[in-house]
Amino acid sequence: MTVALDVERAHTYKWIDAASPTHPSLIDTIHITDEFFGFTNIPMAVWIDETGTIVRPAESASIERSPLRDMDIPEGLPERMERMFREVKAMPDVSHDYRAAIVDWAHRGAGSRFVLTADEVIARSQPRGDDEARAAACFELGEHLRRTVAPEAAVPWWRDAHRLHPANWTYKRQAWTLVTTPEGAEDNDLAQGPNDVYEGNWLDDVIAGGGGQAYTVVPQL
Amino acid sequence: MILTSLDGVSPDQFAEHSGWAPTPEGLCRGEICVPAPGSLRADGTVDIDAAAQRLGMPVLHDADHGVWAVGPATLGGRALPTAVAADPELLTRDGNPFKLSALHGRKVLLVAWASY
Repeated sequence: MTVALDVERAHTYKWIDAASPTHPSLIDTIHITDEFFGFTNIPMAVWIDETGTIVRPAESASIERSPLRDMDIPEGLPERMERMFREVKAMPDVSHDYRAAIVDWAHRGAGSRFVLTADEVIARSQPRGDDEARAAACFELGEHLRRTVAPEAAVPWWRDAHRLHPANWTYKRQAWTLVTTPEGAEDNDLAQGPNDVYEGNWLDDVIAGGGGQAYTVVPQL
Repeated sequence: MILTSLDGVSPDQFAEHSGWAPTPEGLCRGEICVPAPGSLRADGTVDIDAAAQRLGMPVLHDADHGVWAVGPATLGGRALPTAVAADPELLTRDGNPFKLSALHGRKVLLVAWASY
């Protein structure tokens, strides 16, 4: 089952239609799954067994090695673009092992060595203190105002969400892409560069957070 | 959880949006029940301030627009207070509601993605 964390449903249609999924393909327009499952970036996944019990908490869920990792960085790129390449290449890649773990669970179920106990699941789920909880409320409030009042009404609340929970990339990437994507563009801006609305941007926040190697919640398999 | 008033919130509404069900035993999610005297008012509605205090939920107010947002519980300090999966209502491609519980009895790999 897939869930798109996108405040604008229409932004997902192109991808869902191209995939023609045979599984339930859902949309989360308020990022409520961040609250309920602990997602902080995409792609991430949780494993839920037949009884509705989570047997692996939210963790990075790449199942294919990105071709960007094995590309030589082209010469002559603008400095920021070159640095983005380097940070992407620095991200840990356990995609092969994660995919194998999923297949193992599919076959062995509760007998899979990748299944965790309830206590392990809870302990390995993302930290949630006052700041993270307030950030979630700020994001939801901002999205409510964006939808019911005006896009700019979300901004102060989303700024607070970014400040309170800088490790939540869905809050930041969602906000950035809405202000850096040119009007009428067919695809969202994935570079999410410096802008006049939010203090952060993708590259500078990745670097501030410890670089590409710290960007994902690496599955501990 | 977005509210336009802190009054008149039903237990079902609170449970749907927070994952915590107000019951006579307290506020319950999965196998966990937190004693919460005062969280249910005599008229059957939820006292949001009392419930939020018990669960460590922030309650934010935007006075300009007359709206409140109640954040998730901080009980236990982790995103998951229990391994029992929450059951939020999500939307399909065509805008129809869908709940995770519809897949009960099957393994679910719940994968989050986005267009950005």
